[in-house]
Amino acid sequence: MALSVSLRSSVTPPELELVASEQLIEIIPLISMDKTAFISGAYGPLRPPAKCKLPIWMATNLKLKKKCHIVPPAWLNVDFLQDRLTRETSQPEFCAMPFRFAEIAKIILDVASDDVENPDKIRSLLKDLREARQAKSREGITKLDHSELSLPNLCSMEINEIRPFFIRSMGVLTQLTRDPAAAGDA
Amino acid sequence: MVFIPPPQLASASRPSYGEAYANILAAHRRSPLTSASSVIMLVAPDVDAVCAARMLADLFKQDDVMHRIIPVSGIAELERMREELTTYSELHTLILINMGAILDLPSPAWFGEFSTKLTVHVIDSSRPQNLSSLFLGGENGERIIIWDDGETEKLEEERKAWEALMYEPEPDSDEDDSDLESDGASEEEDEEEDVGGDYEDDSSPSGKRRSGGENGPRRRKRRRTDEGRPLRMSHADRDRYSSIINKHYTLGTWHGQSASGTIYILATVLERVDSDLLWLAILGLTHQYITTRISHEEYEKYHSIYYDEVFRLNPPLPADASSRIKSLHPDDQSIRATEELRFMLFRHWTLYDAMYHSSYVASKLGIWKERGRKRLSGLLAKMGFSIPQTQQPYSHMDMDLKKHLRSKLEAIAPEYGLVELSYSSFLRCFGYRSQPLSAADAVEAISALLDVAGGVRMEVEVEGTRNGGEWFGGGRLWDLQERWRGEERENIPPGGGAVKRKEKGNEGGEEKGEEREKVQWWMKNFWAAYDALSNINKLRSALPLSMSLHRAIIRQGSSIIDRQDIRTMRNHRVVVLTEGPDLALFSHPGVLSRLALWLVDALRDRVNGQSLSGRKSKRKSLPFVVACLNEKAGSYVVVGVTGAMDFGDVRKNEFGLAFLDAKERCNARTRHGSFDTSVIEINQADIKIFLETLAEDPEY
Repeated sequence: MALSVSLRSSVTPPELELVASEQLIEIIPLISMDKTAFISGAYGPLRPPAKCKLPIWMATNLKLKKKCHIVPPAWLNVDFLQDRLTRETSQPEFCAMPFRFAEIAKIILDVASDDVENPDKIRSLLKDLREARQAKSREGITKLDHSELSLPNLCSMEINEIRPFFIRSMGVLTQLTRDPAAAGDA
Repeated sequence: MVFIPPPQLASASRPSYGEAYANILAAHRRSPLTSASSVIMLVAPDVDAVCAARMLADLFKQDDVMHRIIPVSGIAELERMREELTTYSELHTLILINMGAILDLPSPAWFGEFSTKLTVHVIDSSRPQNLSSLFLGGENGERIIIWDDGETEKLEEERKAWEALMYEPEPDSDEDDSDLESDGASEEEDEEEDVGGDYEDDSSPSGKRRSGGENGPRRRKRRRTDEGRPLRMSHADRDRYSSIINKHYTLGTWHGQSASGTIYILATVLERVDSDLLWLAILGLTHQYITTRISHEEYEKYHSIYYDEVFRLNPPLPADASSRIKSLHPDDQSIRATEELRFMLFRHWTLYDAMYHSSYVASKLGIWKERGRKRLSGLLAKMGFSIPQTQQPYSHMDMDLKKHLRSKLEAIAPEYGLVELSYSSFLRCFGYRSQPLSAADAVEAISALLDVAGGVRMEVEVEGTRNGGEWFGGGRLWDLQERWRGEERENIPPGGGAVKRKEKGNEGGEEKGEEREKVQWWMKNFWAAYDALSNINKLRSALPLSMSLHRAIIRQGSSIIDRQDIRTMRNHRVVVLTEGPDLALFSHPGVLSRLALWLVDALRDRVNGQSLSGRKSKRKSLPFVVACLNEKAGSYVVVGVTGAMDFGDVRKNEFGLAFLDAKERCNARTRHGSFDTSVIEINQADIKIFLETLAEDPEY
């Protein structure tokens, strides 16, 4: 996403990626490691070839050193994404996607694209999903209200994208609706 | 010194690559002062060394070992670096890549005086290796580890001879020393002096001893252990031993297993091979073959190993031929085996140019003459390529012509004497970012970066300028910064790089600024090449540089042959370059060596019409000595290259010794600039007498 001026003061996508890296993901380790304590918790033991759950930051570190294989999460495959895409394009609401799917998908495709089946098809599906949802966000701008905004199933990156704009515009709208009312009373 | 055999010859008592590597890791992990300077790699500036350094750096990175890579351009630089290294207290591993095999490393002049916790690993492809480095045991010797490729097993004779001469008093060891390379010579002398110091009991005096009779009590204890044996070897034995050692050093220089091949074997032992490491090992091997450091058979030997590896690591390809040469999907980083034509960079040039610039074709067709060029066009016409087609860049040629190129070449080329036009090699895909690149092309690009990425003006052709394309006016100046500026726009400081360079020049005054610049250009080149190994865009952008380098070489070579500038001495041919448009370019030893190789190939079967006296073989491919004037430094860079009898064959290069001999006999002021002993720098005033001395050298 190209960062416009309004977004530079909010959380940046790499920071969101970092936050998303806390989530657990399954790996197939290639080395052995005992249960070790880290700041965020104790992980392991790693006993190849048994699978194990680790935070994504640790999984990417091991993968870059060729010490594990990453098992893509259940939603990162062609069928699931294809199904969501058709739903997205047929219904006016946002369809349910894992909250941080964009960040996690990016990390996995960058580091472990060889562990994912059909990575380029998945990349194009993700791109289509993003564009479909973006189109809906744009429409939603027209229905902007000063008091409430309910956007179910919007995901982390998208929220981050619209947040600065929506906050300011809702503030302005609140002022506009308050003042005419005041002017009307007076 | 200890030499470690390759894993196939290893056994429980003889550790091999894997154990040496494990020791490095262990030393790194247990030393409390570990810092980035604990493991230092000194790397020579050639393609094989750069690939090996990169592979080793990757392995270290995966093992979380902090390391430092320092490029070193020559022996002088190595000496300077050694001085600096004595100040590093936390250094515990030193790795020398493609340098140091010929140096006597345990002697005090090199690493004998360093602390005992330092281990020096030598991964060098140049031979011969210094016998002291290989065989000296003891605490001092155990620290130096030479990674060998199995050839040292056959040096049993030399080993016995060396040990005999080392541990027994011998007065005649001087003869060995005078023929060694300069550094090796001084070290050997020091050592032999020590040993000879206590032979006062020996009744045969040595008149040749340089230091006179030194009756020091040195090495007493070694003598005591020898007391059981006869104290004096018979003269015959001594002569025999010294002649064996002599032969070992004076046969000339040649090359063994590439450094990157050695590290690939290490990775195999550690079971951590992958496509990247394999590709780098292939590049190292191809570099050795292209610069005729190894013969065709040796190339085939290693090639077949890598061929199997490629099939092991990469998924099998679909059978149809057209998909073999393009990437299958954007993440495709696979390596494929292919048959490579001997034309220089032919996929990036016009076909005519590629054939024109390859030394193999040049020699068979006589490219430098107009007649030869006509023959080339004739050959192409016979194969069915029209002239406009051959003037098109390869990528714009017709598809069916490209498909049938190889078969047509095989059919028609033998008429012109061009056989063996292709050899088996590899190419690598880079997803959709770029066309697949063959190993030979990659090697050409990287060596162009190493030689001339900075430090000399190079004009590069912009595609489309030929034949009056859109952009009139030949080429664009190749600038390292500019090429990559597009990628790093934010990193350029305000005012641009030019300001920074000027600042550096003014800091230490004119002289120092120039020297620092001189030091910097080959370092910059090294890092440019290092980066290009992993970044395909940078590698591709270096291809035009390589092309203009070749153009310059052909230009110079053709003019040399045309002007009949070659003087044929009894045993070699000499060319001296004192003027010309590319003089600054050829004062770089790397470029000059290429020119020499081109000349050797081009004149392989010619100019031997002059009847050599029948005692030597009738068809002789004479070695070449090429000298080029470096006006700025006031010296000549001289390169000696041996030519082999047939294309694809290699002979040992005896110029290192010949140069040394000649230099001693005429007292010329010389300097060894690089690690290659067949390259030497001579003061301007001494060049004539040096060449004459070289010519009248009775032994050579």
